Amino acid sequence: MPSYLGEFEQLVLLALLRLGKEGYGVTVRAELLDHAGRDVSLGTVYKTLFRLEAKGMVATHVGEPTPARGGRRKKHYVVNARGRTALQRSLAALRGMSRGLDPALGAP
Amino acid sequence: MNPTRRLGWLIPLAEREFVLGDLEELYGHRPARLALEIFRVGIVLRLHRPSPLSAPRFPLTPRTTFMDHLRSDLRFGLRQLAARPGFTALAVLTLALGIGASTAIFSVVNPILFESLPYPDPDRVVQVGERGTDGSPSRTGYATFVDVQRMSTSFAALAVSSSWQPTLQDNGEPERLNGQRVTRDFLSIFGVVPALGRDFTTEEHVRGQHRATILSHGLWQRRFGGDPSVVGKPVTFDGIQYLVVGVMPKTFENLISPSTQLWAPLAYEASLPWACRTCRHLEAHGRLKPGVTPQAAGRELDVISGRLVAEYPTSYPTAGMVVTPLQEVLTRNVKPALLAVLGAVGFVLLIACANVSSLLLGRAMQREAEFAIRGALGARPGRVVRQLLTESVMLALVGGSAGVAIAWLGLEGLKAIAPPSLPRLGAIGIDVGVLGFTAFVSLLTGLLFGVVPAFATARPDLFAALRPGGRHSGSRSRKHARAVLVAGEVALAVMLLVGAGLMLRSLEKLLAVNPGFEPKNLLTMTVQTTGPRYSEDEPVWAFWDRTLEAVRAVPGVERAAWTSMLPLGGNFDQYGVQIEGKLLSNPEDAASADRYSVTADYVQTMGIPVKRGRPFTAQDNKGNPLVVLINERFARLGWGGEDPIGKKVQYGGRDRPWRTVVGIVGDVHHTGLDQETAPQIYIPESQGHFADGGMDLAVRTRGDPAVLAAAVQAAIRSVDPTQPILNVSTMEQLVSGTAQQRRFTLILFQVFAALALLLAAAGIYGVLAGNVTERTLEIGIRSALGASRSEVLGLVLRQGMTLAAAGVVVGGVASLLLARYLERLLYGVRPQDPLTFAGVVILLLAVAVAASWGPAWRATRVSPLEAIRGE
Repeated sequence: MPSYLGEFEQLVLLALLRLGKEGYGVTVRAELLDHAGRDVSLGTVYKTLFRLEAKGMVATHVGEPTPARGGRRKKHYVVNARGRTALQRSLAALRGMSRGLDPALGAP
Repeated sequence: MNPTRRLGWLIPLAEREFVLGDLEELYGHRPARLALEIFRVGIVLRLHRPSPLSAPRFPLTPRTTFMDHLRSDLRFGLRQLAARPGFTALAVLTLALGIGASTAIFSVVNPILFESLPYPDPDRVVQVGERGTDGSPSRTGYATFVDVQRMSTSFAALAVSSSWQPTLQDNGEPERLNGQRVTRDFLSIFGVVPALGRDFTTEEHVRGQHRATILSHGLWQRRFGGDPSVVGKPVTFDGIQYLVVGVMPKTFENLISPSTQLWAPLAYEASLPWACRTCRHLEAHGRLKPGVTPQAAGRELDVISGRLVAEYPTSYPTAGMVVTPLQEVLTRNVKPALLAVLGAVGFVLLIACANVSSLLLGRAMQREAEFAIRGALGARPGRVVRQLLTESVMLALVGGSAGVAIAWLGLEGLKAIAPPSLPRLGAIGIDVGVLGFTAFVSLLTGLLFGVVPAFATARPDLFAALRPGGRHSGSRSRKHARAVLVAGEVALAVMLLVGAGLMLRSLEKLLAVNPGFEPKNLLTMTVQTTGPRYSEDEPVWAFWDRTLEAVRAVPGVERAAWTSMLPLGGNFDQYGVQIEGKLLSNPEDAASADRYSVTADYVQTMGIPVKRGRPFTAQDNKGNPLVVLINERFARLGWGGEDPIGKKVQYGGRDRPWRTVVGIVGDVHHTGLDQETAPQIYIPESQGHFADGGMDLAVRTRGDPAVLAAAVQAAIRSVDPTQPILNVSTMEQLVSGTAQQRRFTLILFQVFAALALLLAAAGIYGVLAGNVTERTLEIGIRSALGASRSEVLGLVLRQGMTLAAAGVVVGGVASLLLARYLERLLYGVRPQDPLTFAGVVILLLAVAVAASWGPAWRATRVSPLEAIRGE
């Protein structure tokens, strides 16, 4: 059964794709603010990351501890094949649905 | 402390390390923000567990900011609190008591234990003492001080001081003042200079040119009207002119001798007989050089001391010196008591929190429908939690403000009962630091008591809550939480009561200690001879004789005697004693004995029992053989099984004459009822090496001694009106004064325990009352089915007793574990004193019955018909 993505899930997956190997809580939140103009709480970001993990759309690996993090390790998130497929499907659907609607949306 | 450690548990364990790491990375340099964010993320993650099935939620308004939420939460919260004034008043009062008590205690403890001393670089101010045979620091002699000052390189300033009680004879009534004679650099130890005038010059520290004085701000204001022109003018002390050279700043706190009103140069010379190495009457203090630790200074002084002992082996009992930070010196004796009181007030605050928490849970049951509706309209549980926490923090802040008022009132009472041994009494007050503490505690308590009800309420069962008559369904866990809170309150109350009980028993035991004399009907006062007329011994002796005659002539006086010091009077005067035939090679190894120089009738006046031999008589005077009385402890220590009567002793040095023991008297507690008795010797005043310039008067009266105080003082003045009389007091006051620190701790524990008991009783009452209301239907049906009144009564009482019993068991076990921390504050009772524990258990169960009685009685009034109709 294919999984569908919520809007915020799409944004988080896109952020992870942009970040490559550098995706984790702090950077995802910053990316969402920079590129989507969404100022969300870290709690919301984690909630979504955990859900994507539960859906099997991201791979995670644990990095090395650093002093800036009080000696704690980092949990990195990378979009996996399943996540990529789901994202492609969502974006394709979005593109299909919006094709030819630019005038109706009032877009340039 | 790092909030990640305190609040980290809020984050689900599986992700805790990574989430906390992220948060630390973002907010690590702002602990308050970090704590807030941990809290926020924790709430979000705990409430929104990731589940693919969770339905999407739609916010009611398109975009709301944190501030919008806060504003609406505050507005709504205020309306809520105002809508139920009874509930609000009760919660605010409870919190005000808890926070107020904490604030008051904190403001007492803060300047003593937590603030640094009011000097620049306070860590560098130290006390320096010679190491005694028991390892504790003792005072030092002038010759030793001079050597140490010359050889040591650890100190930026080192000085000795000696107490000085001059009588001021200018500007009105003669008044005996408390002063200090000091050596050069004394003021630099504390990093102060006079506010007016100057410090003593080097010349003024030279004997013969040392008639100069610096006044404290207080004395300058009181006796000199704050007149700046007094600097440079002469004043007369004891008939001798001194030049006022300076006035100290108002802010200067002289912590080593807080009652000091003025200073003068010590101006000793090595050749003076009282400047010897064994003349250990000087207190040494120093300011360490930057970077020198007290330990390093101590090591250096040990080396110096070793050299001195090698050079003067008969002048020191043992080698070594002790360097102690002044802060530690000042707090050592009061620390255990203050920490215990601080702990006790913490318990009171916890109980207050538990109580309000329980109140809020009760409230939450009534508000269940409200939250259900908000949930149904799309409010997320997080919003509801935030709303509830906003309300509880608002309650706490209002309670905290009221608490400051309570603390302010309580502080006056605290200061009134504070023992004189409490340092920095003047610095105690409500200042910015204390207010900061109160604000912090209020916020913390708000979150603490708010968090349980908030989470217990945030996810109501919509259908059950809205079903008519279904108000108690789904609230089982909440009822459970309430019961646990109340049982916890009882447990804390048990612990406080045990503490108070143990201290009460200690005080009783202490005051039951036989002081060694009869304190009833005994009037005491100190008289000081001052002025050039009394510079020789003969007139002083004559003065003591004549005043004694005058006092004995006062109607109501049975006996009267002079003594160089009174037991429990706060003085001490010890001399090394040697026994004939048992001479020690190093006189410094000789035992020290309390020395009382007394007139003939002293032991009879005091009611000290003569165990063997005879007391002094009027014939034991200058022309006759030298005699002494000794106490039983001395007899035992010095002679073991032998009879000391007729044997000879010597005190105050090898060159002093031998004196014959003529009698053995009972041991007297000199420094305190809880202190061991030292060897004691009594000398007839007229056979002393010198005349004592100041003496204590003991007067045995027929009736209430306080009534005769004025007449006795008048009798003394009739001999010489210019001699100051001090410390007028009954002996019973002196005895009870020695227990003042214990009484202080006890009173606080009693107040806190009473408060705890009251709150715990209120908690039990609240839970049962709520329960009876909820179970009206059930109780009605039971009555209808034939349950008797006493069965219904028993039903509710049993519930109350279960709560209390659970609390008593937990509290009792915790008390057993915790009471040993009180051990240093106890006297004559073991921390596990069974009587105290039994008393506390009985008291608490009785209170629990009383608290349960009201709801239980109300339950018996439930009419079956009404109950069923009500549904």
